[in-house]
Amino acid sequence: MRFVDEFRDAELGRAVSGQILSLVEPGRHYKLMEVCGGHTHSIYKYGIDDLLPANVELVHGPGCPVCVIPMGRVDDGIAVAHEDGVIFTCFGDMMRVPGSDGSLLEAKAAGADIRMVYSPLDALRIAKQNPGREVVFFAIGFETTAPSTALTLKRARAEGVPNFTVMCSHVTIVPPLRALLESPDLRLDGFIGPGHVSTVVGARPFEFIPADYGKPIVIAGFEPLDILQAIEMILRQLAAGRCEVENQYRRVVPYEGNLRALEVMAEVFELRPHFEWRGLGFISHSGLKLTEAYAELDAEVRFSVPGIRVADPKACQCGEVLKGVIKPWECKVFGTACTPERPIGTCMVSSEGACAAYYNFGRFAREREVV
Amino acid sequence: MSDGCASEHCITCGDIAVEMTVLRVDDARELALCAADDGRHETVEIALVLPVHPAERLLVHAGTAIAHQGGIL
Repeated sequence: MRFVDEFRDAELGRAVSGQILSLVEPGRHYKLMEVCGGHTHSIYKYGIDDLLPANVELVHGPGCPVCVIPMGRVDDGIAVAHEDGVIFTCFGDMMRVPGSDGSLLEAKAAGADIRMVYSPLDALRIAKQNPGREVVFFAIGFETTAPSTALTLKRARAEGVPNFTVMCSHVTIVPPLRALLESPDLRLDGFIGPGHVSTVVGARPFEFIPADYGKPIVIAGFEPLDILQAIEMILRQLAAGRCEVENQYRRVVPYEGNLRALEVMAEVFELRPHFEWRGLGFISHSGLKLTEAYAELDAEVRFSVPGIRVADPKACQCGEVLKGVIKPWECKVFGTACTPERPIGTCMVSSEGACAAYYNFGRFAREREVV
Repeated sequence: MSDGCASEHCITCGDIAVEMTVLRVDDARELALCAADDGRHETVEIALVLPVHPAERLLVHAGTAIAHQGGIL
């Protein structure tokens, strides 16, 4: 298949769906986790789960960059944004993530100079246009986004932009997957691996999943047929008693990843000993910070950051949703107190968040009818 | 907010990469002017996917090209 239409072809979709049906054992329940929020979004946008047998359950993983940012980290950003002379920049959805005392959007409404940007390069441009101000970029995201921040930091240093810093909240995908596999309250049969993260890191970092835990993982693209084919490949492995890393998204993902991106990241970032994930708690070596060589561009060095841990609201069950323990609609506040317009939890903020995906594509009403 | 965030949700926050076509390359600065399928133009970092040539298709995330598309999706 070469063109996008073919990846959305209903006939082909039904054919793959038939192959899936032929691979499942009656009486066995299959739980497959899609790691990436982009997959969650596609699954509900295209109704992919409706094409699956009833005993194949898709569980939503922790791969939404916004959803995993803890409240305390939002509070840290707001504190920096309120510093005199600061222009605080961040990606769009991050503006709406609630902290303990409001979001960055609310801080902006209260007078802080907070601006949305599409890329770190946009933030650097703002710094160059405002030499008398301190411009801070709030960097979030997995390995898909981290290279962009790393390149911008290298560019800022090469061009000598003294008023640009980065508040680094980048995270890595492997440690939370390991944490999930160690979790006693979650039994998974296989993983749909993240497509865009793998463009950067390749397939090799996922080899521990079959090697250490005996589970198959198939890296997948984001079109409906990509996801259906990945599910078929996982089930084929299970039926044959195999567990391997397979790459369905070979048209984009090289097995070794993007070596230049990995090099740049290694130069600019190092692992934090611990980083807090929303709902998952502290996970060792799962967050990135700037290396000593880039300390002068580190906002956490230049500014005072409170760094106070804030507990999630009791009513919010983002943690259970992120771990796949409950479905979004099973959360007590889903669709009532927590909506995309007024999110309580992070999973309701980004379109990649499982709760937002359920809500926006009408799954809420459908699931309730079934119940 | 730049055009890339003008939709209902932010594609960068969503870890989404978009296909773009290279229009012009500035090799010295490792930047390229690229066009999205909706006609939007954007300056893109190309350091991770060099060499890049006009008319090529790139997968772009957060203003940075992370992979070549080789003319197919």
